Amino acid sequence: MISFKQVTKAFDGQTVLDSISFDIPKGSAFGLIGSNGAGKSTILRLMSGVYQPDSGEVLLDGKPIFNSPDNKCRVFFVSDETVQYHSFTIKSLANFYKLYYPRFSDALLEKMLKAVSLPTNKPLSTFSKGMKRQAITMIGIAAQPEYLLLDEAFDGLDPAMRKLVRQLLIDRMLEENMTIIISTHNLTEINEICDSAALIHDNRIIFSRSLDDIRSNMHKLQLAFPTDAPAYTKEQLAETGTEILHFEKQQSVYHLVVKGDEEELCERFSALHPVVCDLIPLTLEEIFIYELEVLGYGNYVFENDEPVSQ
Amino acid sequence: MFDIDLQSRVPIYEQLYRKIIELAVKGALPEGSQLPSVRQLAKDLSVNPNTVSKAYQNLERDGVIYSLSGRGSFIGKIQKADVHSDILKEFDTAAQNAMRVGVDADTLCDRIRTLSSEFIQNGKEHQT
Repeated sequence: MISFKQVTKAFDGQTVLDSISFDIPKGSAFGLIGSNGAGKSTILRLMSGVYQPDSGEVLLDGKPIFNSPDNKCRVFFVSDETVQYHSFTIKSLANFYKLYYPRFSDALLEKMLKAVSLPTNKPLSTFSKGMKRQAITMIGIAAQPEYLLLDEAFDGLDPAMRKLVRQLLIDRMLEENMTIIISTHNLTEINEICDSAALIHDNRIIFSRSLDDIRSNMHKLQLAFPTDAPAYTKEQLAETGTEILHFEKQQSVYHLVVKGDEEELCERFSALHPVVCDLIPLTLEEIFIYELEVLGYGNYVFENDEPVSQ
Repeated sequence: MFDIDLQSRVPIYEQLYRKIIELAVKGALPEGSQLPSVRQLAKDLSVNPNTVSKAYQNLERDGVIYSLSGRGSFIGKIQKADVHSDILKEFDTAAQNAMRVGVDADTLCDRIRTLSSEFIQNGKEHQT
């Protein structure tokens, strides 16, 4: 298990992480999501032992990762930067990482390379962005770490490659109980592979939970009333005891984003006798947007002829 | 064996849960038939094994499947009453929606009779 205990990290006096705490259990696929510059890559660098926390602890099974060769070789960090590998070929890169990762498997690398058409004897500088990602990700998998950290894992990969990488990761989870930690802006990927996730914003963790918990606690609610029914304000609807994250009203049709248990919400709003009362699950993308909207992120007001929200 | 939609709003474990119940109710997975292992299904669908295992746990909790240690998971006895109450709930919603837009009870009753005779007719054709 990887644990962050009240970790703070600042660069040049600018706080990037402010006393964050969370755990990643072994065997899970964990997603780090967050706004641009929220500190996702910093978290991954702390996890891989590249950075030392200013205060607090980053622990792997109870022992610090920083400055611990024993722990560091259990973790592999696939950075979103590939410029440092430019003079390497896949072959020389494999030989380099073999020095640090005792479980590095040539056979596994060969098997993966068979599925793609990457030259093993040309420097990575001649590769396209997506090819570089493929190469580094496969090296990371072949190193057989217990924890594989992927920064912007699927960035630059085409749909076929994304599917292949997903299959490879799942295969490693099944065969080796490998833990996968992915940072990305692309929430579809988190949805497809992860079982839990943390949302990072403004140097803090907004939530860190299983995806199912996150999703089952937030819904889109569509309500419609007969046209002669009285209009409700957001405050009046909140009086039912519901936390309303988003409120939109067009004539007698309401679009809300609410928190709470599905059945309870159904009961509560059916009592108002709407003609339509539909609860729709939210996508992770929507959860991301509405959670951050409440915190005042991304609330730009666009000029529009017809205002749709109030 | 199971089709899932990775882009769907419905969580993957919920899709699997519903699919297995649907197949069991329709008789495609009769009582006692073995389900693929969590491992196998995760591999086939290339989804997170923890997701598959969550679906199986919920199915077991709700008595749809049972597991024998070392042998795997099997379809249990489907409780007809539960299935009926779910389906009737859906029927109620559909009927209410229809009445709300002015379809009267007689029209609905006629429709059920037509559906019923069609259903019986189809059953006879299958037998012959």
